[in-house]
Amino acid sequence: MSKKILIIEDDLFLQGLEVTKLKKDGYEIETAVNSVEAFKILEKMKPDMILLDLLLPEVDGFMILEKIRENKDMVTTPVIVFSNLSEDKDIKRAQKLGISEFMVKSNFTLDELTKKIKDLIGA
Amino acid sequence: MLFRKRTKSGENTDEENERLKKLLNAKSEMVSLGAHQIRTSLSAIKWIIKMFLDGDLGKLTAEQENLLRKAYDGNDKAINLVSEILLVNKSEEVVEKKYIFEKANIIEMIENTIFDFSGESLWRGIEIILLKPQTQVPEIKIDKEKILVVLQNLIENAIKYSKYHGKIFVAVKTEDKNIEISVKDAGIGICEESKAKIFEKFYRTENAQKKEAMGSGIGLYTTKKIVEDHGGKIWFESKENEGATFFVSLPLSR
Repeated sequence: MSKKILIIEDDLFLQGLEVTKLKKDGYEIETAVNSVEAFKILEKMKPDMILLDLLLPEVDGFMILEKIRENKDMVTTPVIVFSNLSEDKDIKRAQKLGISEFMVKSNFTLDELTKKIKDLIGA
Repeated sequence: MLFRKRTKSGENTDEENERLKKLLNAKSEMVSLGAHQIRTSLSAIKWIIKMFLDGDLGKLTAEQENLLRKAYDGNDKAINLVSEILLVNKSEEVVEKKYIFEKANIIEMIENTIFDFSGESLWRGIEIILLKPQTQVPEIKIDKEKILVVLQNLIENAIKYSKYHGKIFVAVKTEDKNIEISVKDAGIGICEESKAKIFEKFYRTENAQKKEAMGSGIGLYTTKKIVEDHGGKIWFESKENEGATFFVSLPLSR
């Protein structure tokens, strides 16, 4: 059975590229552009991994991450932060909330992202 | 940047300072927002070109591949440039911010900074060695956020301008009234003509530009300003092609 990934990304163009790449690699993908959509999906399914952007409208990625960690079913769900924020304070804040990896979008290709996901949850 | 005197008419400049501060903040936020948006677009371009280069979208001719590789490299240069803009913006933001002095364990801060750069140094095959004093170093009153910028700048420079598989020595010693931190590399060094200008804003030596094309030349300027705002001193010793040692001395008490 293929692994399920929830992508939380408000930029539809980037989201589209991420979806294309990850589907091609055999993952089942759900997408959300904001916290409301994300938590609606999380009520219905428990993903194997979450790919999370930080700069999101209204409720940012940090707050979403806090909420995710408050849910006892998702305390250990792997989360990769995939953002263009890159300051130490952002990385440390996300790390404190228990992320698996902090990847700066412009520093990685989608291949490198997929490799990281494979290492974390398998193909 | 901010006015310290009263105007001719005797009018207080506090209001003008407040206005300038607001303008600076607005400028900084605008640069940051714009740079992040540009970085997002550049990320998309990077990913798409890579998909073409990997053949995900069909086989390329040799000419197409050659041109796309150039586009990919050019895009990466633009990404680095945007990162530099963000760095300059952040440095200005940190320097302009009010100083908040609190007691800090400088050894712990140095250890954490070395750890933060471990990925970068490992990638370049560089070893960073911390030489701690025999006796315990007392806590000192500093602005932690700003001194962290000093440590990051000095260690990052040492890594950037070291030769591959080189060694960097970070040493700490206490003297009568000061604590001295030194960062020594065996890298490209600083030529005689550049020595007087090394702390100038936006100045980069020719050697530095050859070794690392990207760089804003704001790091050492910011570092000096922060150290002097703490009542400390910064200086260096260097021979071209043999390396450089930067020394920072900070007062133990304030």
